[in-house]
Amino acid sequence: MLLPKFDYHEPTTLEEALKMLSELGGNAKILAGGTDLLVRMKQKIDMPSHVISIARVPGLDAIVPRDSHGVTVGSAVTAAALSRNELIMDRFTPLALAASRLGAPMIRNRATIGGNLVNGRPAADLPPACMVLNASLKLKSAGTERDVPVVDFFRGPGETMMEPNELLISINMDTPPPWTGGAYIKLGARKTLEISMVNVAALLTLQSADGPITEARIALGAVAPTPVRAYAAEDFLIGQKPSEQLFQKAGEIGVGMCSPITDHRGTMEYRCMMIEVLTKRALMAALERARNWQP
Amino acid sequence: MKKIIKLIVNGEKVEAAVEPNRTLVQLLREDLGLTGTKHGCGLGDCGACTVILDGKPVNSCLVLAAQADGREVLTIEGLAENGKLHPIQQAFVDKGAIQCGFCTPGMILSAKALLDATPNPTEVEIRTAISGNLCRCTGYQKIVEAIQAAGQALAGTEVS
Repeated sequence: MLLPKFDYHEPTTLEEALKMLSELGGNAKILAGGTDLLVRMKQKIDMPSHVISIARVPGLDAIVPRDSHGVTVGSAVTAAALSRNELIMDRFTPLALAASRLGAPMIRNRATIGGNLVNGRPAADLPPACMVLNASLKLKSAGTERDVPVVDFFRGPGETMMEPNELLISINMDTPPPWTGGAYIKLGARKTLEISMVNVAALLTLQSADGPITEARIALGAVAPTPVRAYAAEDFLIGQKPSEQLFQKAGEIGVGMCSPITDHRGTMEYRCMMIEVLTKRALMAALERARNWQP
Repeated sequence: MKKIIKLIVNGEKVEAAVEPNRTLVQLLREDLGLTGTKHGCGLGDCGACTVILDGKPVNSCLVLAAQADGREVLTIEGLAENGKLHPIQQAFVDKGAIQCGFCTPGMILSAKALLDATPNPTEVEIRTAISGNLCRCTGYQKIVEAIQAAGQALAGTEVS
């Protein structure tokens, strides 16, 4: 398959990249891993006249711990790097798990967290994980800088609230408190090279190893025009003693927050059933990790 | 406008002038004549175009040739030494893991990347490592056995 023609730019500083974005605006696309953009260009869905590679812009591909308070993940960090990073696996577990399920090994070596977020696909792997971790996204343009909560980022399929001249720089997350555990479950017809039929990320914080739930976050993908937090199910769980029956009820409430469609991957009815089942399973897995939390 | 790129392919320095829309798989196959790397789906879904870029397996159909500037590429042609097959290649032959052979270069390179990082992989680790490489002929079983055998051969614990 052939790529259409385009002008190719390789800025070597962030300032240069942002200046190019300002000047070229809607005629330019950012190239990071290329596993979405180049596919869309080959399919003639995107035909930008300019492609700006950020490969040589320094500082975008690092995972930087902020003492023990949090972590800043550069937008160009690959899914492979995220899935193997010990800090992410330990303290930001849903993100490591989601990254490990993205695509397949070769895709993960190129695909970036930035690309997975800015493409705004409802079934993307990383957004639900970022949402349960209350991630904040740093966006910059030639003249501006702003931090946006990831829960406010998505507008619709393929649509985010980014301006055409903005670049996603980093994803910031605070370390969850003690007795927190997280999970991510991806459902598809295959275990690999698959777009989700339903995906769920969950994060639970307990008062203590045997204590009640003090914080609950559940995010679902592929079941609405954007990834969504199941706030009603979360509120239901706060203050309760964790149990399978409780999580079953939370799953039932979660279905009410979703508006899945019937498409070639699955029917609306099946997706609704799976939201219930997978929410419960994700909460069970999160609970297990929360109970085994180590300082 | 063409860009001059300099890269290392199978240990040798290569210099080329490439259009921006030229992919790495096109460069390897059409400009360098290294047709061991296959072009399958062109969309990163089949793994036939797998090469090792700076030590990591990637779909070369989704890498611009321009992005390979300054980098090291290993293709299937780079494995055999002085005409002697690499232990992974030999294991594929010995175990009957090759039928039509189209997926084989990509499978072997994914296997190499795995064994370089994990010398004694479990079956789950093997199947995960090749999960981006599709095979329509073999049903994967003999490919998995070949990779297990290759791991043992490389570790010097070969059981013949």
